[in-house]
Amino acid sequence: MKEPVLLEVRNLKVYFRNDEGLELRAVDGVSFTVPPGKTVALVGESGCGKSVTALAILRLVEANGRIAGGEVLFEGKNLLALSEREMQRVRGKEIAIIFQEPSAALNPVYTVGEQIVEAILLHQSVSREKARALAEEMLHLVGIPEPRKRLNEYPHELSGGMKQRAMIAMALSCRPKLLIADEPTTSLDVTIQAQILELLRELQRQIGMAILLITHDLGIVADMADEVVVMYAGKVVERGTKYDIFKRCRHPYTLGLLRSVPRLDVDENALASIPGFVPDPLHFPEGCRFRGRCFLEDETCATEPPEVALGDGHVVYCHHAALSEVCHGER
Amino acid sequence: MLEPHGDCGPHGAWFALMIFYILRRLLFLPLTLFGISLLIFLMIGFLGPYQRLATFINSPERLKGADVDKLVELYGLNDPLIIQYGRWLKNVLRGNLGWSYVGKEPVLSAILKRFPYTLELTLFAAIPIIFLGTSLGVLAALNHNKPLDHGLRIFAVVGWSFPDFVFGLFVLMIFYGTLGWFPPGNLSVWAEEIVKSPHFRNFTGMLTLDALLNGRFDVFLDALRHLAGPVLTLTYVEFAFLLRITRSSMLEVLRKEYVRTARAKGLDERVVIHKHAKRNALIPVATVSGQTVIGLLAGTVIVETIFNRTGLGSFIALASQQLDYASIMGGSLFFGLILVIGNLCVDLSYALIDPRVRLE
Repeated sequence: MKEPVLLEVRNLKVYFRNDEGLELRAVDGVSFTVPPGKTVALVGESGCGKSVTALAILRLVEANGRIAGGEVLFEGKNLLALSEREMQRVRGKEIAIIFQEPSAALNPVYTVGEQIVEAILLHQSVSREKARALAEEMLHLVGIPEPRKRLNEYPHELSGGMKQRAMIAMALSCRPKLLIADEPTTSLDVTIQAQILELLRELQRQIGMAILLITHDLGIVADMADEVVVMYAGKVVERGTKYDIFKRCRHPYTLGLLRSVPRLDVDENALASIPGFVPDPLHFPEGCRFRGRCFLEDETCATEPPEVALGDGHVVYCHHAALSEVCHGER
Repeated sequence: MLEPHGDCGPHGAWFALMIFYILRRLLFLPLTLFGISLLIFLMIGFLGPYQRLATFINSPERLKGADVDKLVELYGLNDPLIIQYGRWLKNVLRGNLGWSYVGKEPVLSAILKRFPYTLELTLFAAIPIIFLGTSLGVLAALNHNKPLDHGLRIFAVVGWSFPDFVFGLFVLMIFYGTLGWFPPGNLSVWAEEIVKSPHFRNFTGMLTLDALLNGRFDVFLDALRHLAGPVLTLTYVEFAFLLRITRSSMLEVLRKEYVRTARAKGLDERVVIHKHAKRNALIPVATVSGQTVIGLLAGTVIVETIFNRTGLGSFIALASQQLDYASIMGGSLFFGLILVIGNLCVDLSYALIDPRVRLE
């Protein structure tokens, strides 16, 4: 039986042009799905293309980048084929997004209330008074004390955690089916992080939206995700359930990523790290992009790695998927 | 839209803070003016007593039979500078700025009569300067690095590089000399007669406004015709700065995350630009606009002279040439007053348009 799909990204390609006119293939053939009501984590190092993927889903890639190919199917319709006006009806209403830096993401010259009311008025046919009441309700829902007073306050009058709560209130004010959370807690301190994640989980339970969580923090992934997509250098290297990824991952990169997380229960002198550096997007290696850093590398890796399905949606892109399982015992 | 709060509400407190801030700033006004007057007086002090005496003598006839030293004594020109300054200050505090030889009337009334003309010119120039500067600046930013952007920037830089006395002469040559459209001066002779007639009431001293208030549409048009040349000159020479500030400010704001947030909400690009981006981009522009206007009020000297207009600028220019130091001192004090009040207005507007700015 095929499981229901809310969002399907198929072979998405986003290319940027730098100042010298050279093409950067920031996202190069990314595919994954998000089931309704579930949380999918998009994991990878900074610069791997995960945030660009998120922006491309909403077609908000910066002017020097372009979506060079692929499909973004939301409830079966290809968002990349919509007109700009049709796309505007998807943004904020069907798919909402929150960003890493809430201080920068809220407009400093409008009150929090005005910014939430604006979103509500845009997508729902309600009066301004009703929109204001809804906004107050949203602020209450995301746990902001004295919501009525906060409506009239400007972003700079709120703390970082409160700003992110306000962003979440704004994003969820139209009850979207999918919330893209682009590193939502990276700029917040650890105790606030936990609160915001707890809030997202709670709201997901109440509203029932799916979450596409973009993060580099495997702790958050373990905490939040149902399914995990691992990206490296603009490509998906492995995807599967949280259990697949954490307990029986098959891609050497995923393995390296997991081993580089500090653990309290294992007494190690030095943290394991992946040798080498992330390749320059202008000079990605041919074939498997993890070449040069991989302990399983051989001459076959110079060709495009195959998609290896391991059952139940666990997919790995590696020539040595069979071999890597053996190595997994090391962990 | 404001619902009643339990407490008195932030707006009452904010208003009180504003009043307090204005009063405190105004308290510094006399201090500033004192500094300005002292500075100018000291500069005049560099002239010897006999040089300064010369400004009192308008024809050699008056020196016949007179003992120059006695005249110096009479006017107190040999006294220590500090005593002379004290004497001048005492008069100023009594509201007496002295007699203007250039204006042939008391300095205060000479200034008050001419200031409306300068204010009028400034206001008429400020409208196209601010409008063109900001709207073309936004347009350039939205077409970043496209031909329109380059074209606008070249156009602006050319204006920016023109000295106003050169461009002013071009305007005179073309629009008066060749086309005969925009004559120099403040009014045509026939209109001047109407304005000076007893039926014509002076409400503000600004010719266009007074003409409208008197119902003389023909005089209004004539005043506009005379304003066109200097306004054109000031606009082209001054708008470039605002265009550049607006353009770079807008470019910076367009890269901000909150602009992306606005798009992510599903807002139309027009709303994103005009509501979310422009409002932020114009905050620094407002300050610069205010300073440009203040600068124009005190800096129309050259344009008023070229276009042969009566006004504060040309008055001070003439006074300086003829060492009419009562007029120079009075004019400087007046400019100081404008500067302080103008800057206060700019600072207040800053607090109004940017909620992050707190008056302190």
